[in-house]
Parts: sequence; C-alpha cells; structure tokens
Amino acid sequence: MGLDLSVIARNSNVLWGGFLTTLKLFGIAFAGGLPLGILLGLGRLSSKKWIYYPVSAYINFIRNVPLLMVVFWIYFALPIVTGHNIGRLPSAVIAFIVFEATYFGEIIRAGFQSVKKGEMQAAYSTGLTYTQVTRYILIPIGLRRVIPSLMTQTIVIFQDTSLAYVIGLREFVRASTVVNAREVRSLEIFGFVALVYLVICLAGSTISNRLEEEGE
Amino acid sequence: MANEKETLIKIDEVGKWYEDVQALDGISMEIDRKDVVVICGPSGCGKSTLLRCINGLEEFEEGDVIVDGVSVREVRGTKNIYKLRSKIGMVFQHFELYPHLTALENVTLAPKKVFNMSKKEARQKGMELLERVGIPEQADQKPGELSGGQQQRVGIARAIAMDPQTIMFDEPTSALDPEMIRDVLEVMADLAKEGLTMIVVTHEMGFAKEVADEIAFMENGNIVEHNDVETFFKNPESERAKEFVDRVLVHI
Ligand SMILES: Nc1ncnc2c1ncn2[C@@H]1O[C@H](COP(=O)(O)OP(=O)(O)O)[C@@H](O)[C@H]1O
Ligand SMILES: [Mg+2]
Repeated sequence: MGLDLSVIARNSNVLWGGFLTTLKLFGIAFAGGLPLGILLGLGRLSSKKWIYYPVSAYINFIRNVPLLMVVFWIYFALPIVTGHNIGRLPSAVIAFIVFEATYFGEIIRAGFQSVKKGEMQAAYSTGLTYTQVTRYILIPIGLRRVIPSLMTQTIVIFQDTSLAYVIGLREFVRASTVVNAREVRSLEIFGFVALVYLVICLAGSTISNRLEEEGE
Repeated sequence: MANEKETLIKIDEVGKWYEDVQALDGISMEIDRKDVVVICGPSGCGKSTLLRCINGLEEFEEGDVIVDGVSVREVRGTKNIYKLRSKIGMVFQHFELYPHLTALENVTLAPKKVFNMSKKEARQKGMELLERVGIPEQADQKPGELSGGQQQRVGIARAIAMDPQTIMFDEPTSALDPEMIRDVLEVMADLAKEGLTMIVVTHEMGFAKEVADEIAFMENGNIVEHNDVETFFKNPESERAKEFVDRVLVHI
C-alpha cells in the first residue's frame, strides 16, 4: 500500500476552508482571551472583596472543568437558557474566550505579582492615579515578564481549537474527517493535519524560547 | 531674620502598625518651608515608613499629617491624594526606576499624564531635568544600562519633574558605590540651594553638616532628638543621639 499524497491536493479547498476556520477561532479566542485575562489577573489582586471573590470563584470553577464541557454548555445549554441559538462558530469563540482567559489570567497575575512594590510606589509618589499606574506601570512591566508563558499558553489554545470539532464546527480537524469519510485515506490525511499542527506549534515554541533567552 | 518660619508639613502623633509590629509610635514633627531636614536613626526605626505616611503611600492608624494645610487622613481614598502626592517628590534607596522605559520617559511619564503635556513639551522639560542632574547624554538608555549613580540621578529628575514643593529622599546613596555617592550628594545640595523643602533620610553626616538646617534622630518609631545641625553635633541633648553621632562620625 503506497502513500497517495494527491489526496491532499484534490481536497485542498475543504482543508483550506477548515484551516481558515481554525485560524479565525484561534485569532478571536486570543484577541478576546488576553484582555479578559488581564482583567481577571487584576481582579485576583484586588483588595476589594466584591471583585476578588467572584473573580477567584470564576477562575477556580472554569479551571476545574474540562474545556470540552465548556464548549458543550455554551453550544447546547446556552440556547435552552436564552432561547437563542447563536451558531457554531460564535459558540466556540465564546467558550474559548471564557476558558482561555482563566489560564491567561493566572499567568498574568503571576506577572503582576513580580512587579516590584517600590516601582509602583514610585509611580504613585509622582501623583499618578490608580488607573494610570495600572496602565503605564503594572500592565506593561507585568506582561513583559510572562511573555514566554503567555506564548506557551497561546500554543495550547491553537491546539485546543480542534475540540470545537465536537459541536460540528468544520475547523481543520473536522474538515479532514469529512475528507477522509469520502477518500478513506486516513494515513495521508491525518498525517498531513498532524504535520501542519506540528510545524505551527514548533515555530511558536521556538519563538517563545528565544524570547525567554532574551529576557534573561 | 526678616522672613518668618512657616510650617509646611506637620506630623501629628502618627501611629502605624504592620500587623502587630509598631513601626511608628505617636511620632510628631514639624518641617518648615524651604528647610532641609535630615532624619537618621538605626535600621528598622521607622524612617521609611514615616516618609511613606507623609505622602499617603502607607495608611496609618493614629494621628494625622498636614501637608500645606491639607490633611492626609482626609484626602486619603479620594482623588485629592494624587494632587497632594504630586507636590511631594520621592527618591528611593533602590532607585525604583521603571525598567521598561528610557531615562527620559521615566522622568516625563508623570508630567505627560498628569498635566497632559504634549510629547514635544514633555521631551523638552525632561531634557532640562536630565541636564540639571548632569546626565542628558543618557536620555535614551533604559535603567538596566545605567550605573547606580546615573540611575539615582534619573530618580531625582523624576522626583522633581512635577515641580514639587517638597522632595523626600530615602537613603538615596546607601545602595551606591562610594565613588558615585559624591555626585548624587552634589545634585541634592544644588536642589537645596534652589529653595526646595527637603526631607532626607541619610547617614551621610557630612551632607547633614554642610547642607541641612535641622537634623532629627529616630529610634523605635519616634523622634529622640530634633535640633538644629550645630547643636545636634556639638551638644546633643540625648545620650542615644550622642552615641549614634559618635558611631557614624567615626566612619566618615
Ligand atoms: N511592608 C512592611 N510589612 C511589615 N513590616 C514592615 C513593613 N515595612 C516596614 N516594616 C517594619 O516596620 C519597622 C520600621 O521599618 P522601616 O520604616 O522600613 O524602618 P527604617 O526605614 O528606619 O529602616 C520595622 O520593624 C520593619 O520590619
Ligand atoms: Mg528604610
């Protein structure tokens, strides 16, 4: 039995479409998850109990639930509660933002905690307000410290997006199963899919390692 | 003298605890406008805490601090605390420069954000300040690329960037190599000549003798002796201050 790589070229339209959906899902999940993660990180360090407790409860809850369940809930349970079906891609996007933000949030919290108290005090001593110190000192210094961890988590998100497969979203993995159902060329098709993930994630972690070395 | 002394900062029986450690024990002290007051005393006696209480960086449980007629206790937790702080510059033992910004940006951040200065205006003002402390050529360096003495001079430029009435120094030279201490003390002496009110926590008794008007000796969260410089060195009233002076003077 030889390898028939032409199966990839023959189905490149479907695969490319799936890949674009994966990219879209990943891009929006990252763009939404990072700012939400910053807010969660701030909330975890808040001295106000009415901020700290709900934020901590949210983070601990989501981090102890499989991502798959979150995807299921948003897609199946949310329409029952709200009466609106928002569709597969928006459901997946919301699920990923809600989930990944908690992971970003804990990484970012550690970054904020690494900012020296004296640097914050210096900023306050010049008359800057809480919001200004947060924006110009805490967030830029804190985020920079954890860029490598954020990169690693971002790679995880990219891999996680394949879980949207379970609600029938035709992302890269689902697209490949559709192609395989027709072609029955598992080795070539899934081999190709794995290779694409591998190349992208390796590139990501190489960049992340570089940044880490530069940081030191 | 024609111009009468006028109290700028009044510290009124301030008590401060960290959990069950008492850092300040009902301390009182008055600082006159345009005076240079040196505060000294053993490590852990509450000097840094006192400075942080004056500009409301630290909360205190008892007493009050009045800065130019404004009660720190009253403005704490309101927007007015920011205004009060902007009138008191602060210089730190370990510089505490913002590591992600250049020397110039360290200096101009507050004026830019608080006064809404334009970039050009802020740059010009920042360069003037860096010239004043003698390091305009380091404007575009990050703190990590500067020597300790250069960093502390940026710290001083940052502290005067808001044109404060008062500037507080918390052991500004104790983290510096000996050859850099002189430069920083010179910059401080220049500021004193320009009429800033200065509160200087330091053990540089040479500086105290030459530049300060008054000197206060602290122990266990309180003032043991507060006197004019001459009396303090020649006839200290308290035994403890005397011992301390003898000990530090040996090191000069
Ligand atoms: N952030 C803090 N948390 C707990 N205790 C502190 C803190 N800062 C200072 N202290 C304690 O308060 C006392 C006074 O400290 P400090 O004001 O730093 O003294 P000094 O500056 O004279 O060395 C010390 O006993 C010190 O251990
Ligand atoms: Mg101290």
